[in-house]
Amino acid sequence: MAHQRQPEFEQLPDFEKEFEKLVDEHQSMVFSLALRMTGDRGLAEEIAQDVFMEMDRNLGKLESADHACFWLRRVTMSRSTDALRRRRVRGMDLWVEMEDLHGAPVEERASPLSTRLEQMLATLPEAQRAALVLRYQEDLTPEEIAATLAAPVATVKSHLQRGLKLLRAKAAKHLKEFVRGH
Amino acid sequence: MDIDPMDEFERELQQAFSRRPAPPSLKRRLMEKRRVKVAVRPWVTWQRLAASLALTAVLAGGAEWRIADERRKEEAARDQVLTALRITSHALNEMNARLAARRHGTQD
Repeated sequence: MAHQRQPEFEQLPDFEKEFEKLVDEHQSMVFSLALRMTGDRGLAEEIAQDVFMEMDRNLGKLESADHACFWLRRVTMSRSTDALRRRRVRGMDLWVEMEDLHGAPVEERASPLSTRLEQMLATLPEAQRAALVLRYQEDLTPEEIAATLAAPVATVKSHLQRGLKLLRAKAAKHLKEFVRGH
Repeated sequence: MDIDPMDEFERELQQAFSRRPAPPSLKRRLMEKRRVKVAVRPWVTWQRLAASLALTAVLAGGAEWRIADERRKEEAARDQVLTALRITSHALNEMNARLAARRHGTQD
């Protein structure tokens, strides 16, 4: 991926404006990725904070808006995976009715179909979940997903196919009232 | 890219998995955290510099002490060898003197 250095990134020594701009542009992406990977609003907020603070430390190395977006996706997925691993080690149960337990404000709540699909997504293996979230939330191609997750393209394609098949089967069983085209 | 075009279920997924808005407090907290970090940064830099200097001094002192200690040990070893040589030389001289005296007595 060729990244063009944006001149305004070099002008301000403190990078505060760039930081604020990147937070404005990408907070929703980072938070949603972390939320769908972990299923925990609190943890997703923590991950989002960590990711942006790390981005702040590396701001001088980011070469363009595209590079920043790629970097944010990659670090968010990696941090989310780490958080899941830490929780598994502690033996905590993941994905526990996230909308009810973590009290999203009413205006932020997703539609019932979205919530049910997210709950089903949560039951998939982590690698399949990561591939599906990047595919359907971020609209990335398998090649872009592979670059983000630092995985072979063939592996990503396999995760996408298997994850989609599983999700489709679950939807066919549990979401007849919502899903039309399975 | 050899991925099939999306069917209806995938389009449903795409809609269902649209990005959620981040909590409004996220940006505020991030900006606060960053301001604190930037304010603390010069102190941290000085502290790091001071710690590096102290560490360098301790390491240099340790290295110096080690070199001096090795030199001391070398000198002690050399002194011991010289003492041993001196004793040996003295013993040999004594032996030579006795042999010379005995030889002299036999000739008489």
